[in-house]
Amino acid sequence: MKRLTVKQPPVIITPSAGETLFPETARLSNGVPVYLLGKGTVDLLRIEFVLNAGQQMEKVHMAASTTNAMLTEGTVKHDAITINDLIDSTGTMLNHTADKETASMVMITLSRKLEEVAALAEEVLFHPSFPETEFRMLIDKRVQSFLTSRQKTSVIGREEFYRALCGNNNPYGRITKLDDYNSLTTLATAEFHSLYYKPDNMYITVAGRDPEQALPVLEKYFSGNGTGAWHEPEIPRFLFEPAEPGRIFSEVSNSVQSAVRLGWKGITRNHPDYQGLQVASMILGGYFGSRLMRNIREDKGYTYGINSVVGAFHGAGYIVIITEVANGYREETIREIKKEIIDLCINEVSNDELNIVRNHFMGEIARMFDGPFNSAETIRSIIDNNCGHDYFSRFVETVKTITPGKIKELFNTYFIIDNAFEIIAGAK
Amino acid sequence: MIEFERHILSNGLKVIVHYDDSTPMVTTNLLYDTGSRDEDPEATGFAHLFEHLMFEGSDNVPVFDTPVMLAGGENNAFTNNDITNYYITLPANNLEIALWLESDRMVGLDLSENRLMNQKSVVTEEFRQRYLNQPYGDLLLLLRPLAYKVHPYMWSAIGKDISHIAKAGSDRVRQFYQKHYTPSAAILSIAGSSKPDDIFMMAEKWFGDLPSSEKIVRVLPQEPPQKERREITVYRDVPAAQLLMAFHTGGRESRDFYILDLLTDILSGCDSGRFPSLLVRKKELFSEADIYLSGEIDPGLVIFSGRLKNGTDIKKAEAAVMNELGRIATEAVTTAELDKARNRYESIRLLSYLSASNKAFNLAFHELLGDANGINTEIDRYMSVTAEEITDSSSRTFTPDNCNVIYYLPETK
Repeated sequence: MKRLTVKQPPVIITPSAGETLFPETARLSNGVPVYLLGKGTVDLLRIEFVLNAGQQMEKVHMAASTTNAMLTEGTVKHDAITINDLIDSTGTMLNHTADKETASMVMITLSRKLEEVAALAEEVLFHPSFPETEFRMLIDKRVQSFLTSRQKTSVIGREEFYRALCGNNNPYGRITKLDDYNSLTTLATAEFHSLYYKPDNMYITVAGRDPEQALPVLEKYFSGNGTGAWHEPEIPRFLFEPAEPGRIFSEVSNSVQSAVRLGWKGITRNHPDYQGLQVASMILGGYFGSRLMRNIREDKGYTYGINSVVGAFHGAGYIVIITEVANGYREETIREIKKEIIDLCINEVSNDELNIVRNHFMGEIARMFDGPFNSAETIRSIIDNNCGHDYFSRFVETVKTITPGKIKELFNTYFIIDNAFEIIAGAK
Repeated sequence: MIEFERHILSNGLKVIVHYDDSTPMVTTNLLYDTGSRDEDPEATGFAHLFEHLMFEGSDNVPVFDTPVMLAGGENNAFTNNDITNYYITLPANNLEIALWLESDRMVGLDLSENRLMNQKSVVTEEFRQRYLNQPYGDLLLLLRPLAYKVHPYMWSAIGKDISHIAKAGSDRVRQFYQKHYTPSAAILSIAGSSKPDDIFMMAEKWFGDLPSSEKIVRVLPQEPPQKERREITVYRDVPAAQLLMAFHTGGRESRDFYILDLLTDILSGCDSGRFPSLLVRKKELFSEADIYLSGEIDPGLVIFSGRLKNGTDIKKAEAAVMNELGRIATEAVTTAELDKARNRYESIRLLSYLSASNKAFNLAFHELLGDANGINTEIDRYMSVTAEEITDSSSRTFTPDNCNVIYYLPETK
């Protein structure tokens, strides 16, 4: 089949990132910040409660995630089945998780159910009862999924990388052992809860059509109950004790593929090079046509996918290249990754290649602010990482003005082959 | 209400447009009426292999991704048993780039030997990564040949046997492309802040001169009713047993689909559903218990999938599931359960309206089923489901003779 006529391709219009403004902030009478993201087109509200109650605050390993998971396992007023039934009956989609740094609960709810749902949110956030039976069931389930995860090369590879980067005594680097589940108690979770699940330790985002309608309701349920005035979250400082650079091998028997991670200590989000480093990483392995994807997937066919990622915790950053390849391809893959890095250390990228990445970022930022629900997730990343309300307008500037010379300099500064951790998880 | 306009080009390409000015973006969703059910039983996995090849460049586009990235867009695709679906989301003022790219790969895909060789290797690694190197990864690969004896749903989109991909020769690949990648086999659905009149003009420009070809009439062997229970046991290196039970049911357009879709939400759609409440919390037989529809266009399956708690006897677990399904078949679900499912359906539907790409896909899919307006009329099809219909449908579906069971057990070491 052939086209009947030949045509000029259309001209590409350079994409713009659009508005990246930080939203209006309201406050409840006790000082809790409420960020409002309007312009919704349907009668749904997305309400998120973010607490400074992540893993970084815990004394007992996994207390943060277990406390968060127990929120909907029974409250002082209702048992687990009843409280879940009350929430589900409103049609609300509820999701709650705790990560390294924060804990959160998101409710996507029909606007007409707002009042009912806010009352339930207050109940699960601040009055969970931590019943023993549900606690034991939760731990059993977690042990089961922990044992399953021991067979996933990608999980082992990720853990070993963070341990190499942070050390085993650091909450970002610590690897969970089966024994850790035995040390967890309802007492430890109740204590964690009483310390960190308080209005003075949280903020709220409301996204959707007319988000202001939520303010009186939130005032009613979340302005009391605190121990004091709202304060900026306290961020503990940890010691980072990285491993020696070089090969770290973990055996995962019977695996047909190996997880390969090549990574370095990076920089935090407030470092002047952070945004430039994101551009550099994108060129190396951030998109389908990136250097690594073209070489290792599209030319060699060693893998289904390979990525380069720049990220940061509170207090430290990282750079990591992630892939899964057949066991027999892993040495060749590492050699090719290094070859691509060396090339970027020696030769400047062309303006054409840089423009691909520039334009991609513009589209990406526009999508991150496309609609109130996406915007709510985006501003959460700004708040939690404390990287300044103008983070994205600065990012747009960096992306537009960065030069091929600067990119080369970044590769020479941060992608130093001899300093890399080379993680392999797979069969011997 | 999702408003849309429809226009059919003279070569048979259907174009659906939905205008949404709340986003600066636009999504083009190009659905090909080709899935793994259309494959030769001796050459399976081709539809999915093509999904890969479609990103390998075409006559006027050496690297597919480059213009998408330069236009500020993102794109991806998926393949299932029924369809192959491609989408591009990009700033609305670059819409024409997406149409140019899609038209170029519909008519002039690069099928050179080295492209083919390489993607065969990538697909083989995908197979290893997704199905072999994941605990429980091969469960659904085992289910299909157990549940289907005649219909091509007996293999997964990745293929019946990965050696079919390794053996895929360029002649067969070329034939597959010529047969299935044609304007009359495709539905182009576009949603976002581009004006319908502009879109129709651009669609005519980029697709109007593609030669038409005969629409393929699909003749597939229909699966006869299952007469007796089927069961297999496999042993794998996993920490806990998994129980899978699959029952044949109606196709995507049957009344049973809507009834059972709502029922499965009542049973396991949320944490207060019957299965999490009764089988996980009260009886403590499972650590997870889920039931869902496979959702294919031809008659599909209702699949129960449960991870057993350590120490649970799998026969006892199976009996408990059959007992709950039997209860559904004899006692009406409560009004509260129905109301909950309806409220949940309303939230989920409104949430899907927030994404232009979601709307573009759903319009295309409903057009494939017969009418894009199905996106609007199916609300009634869900909301009108009654407790009696649920009982009736369950009593016909959840019978022992209609059941396919997999005992997926840990190897004893």
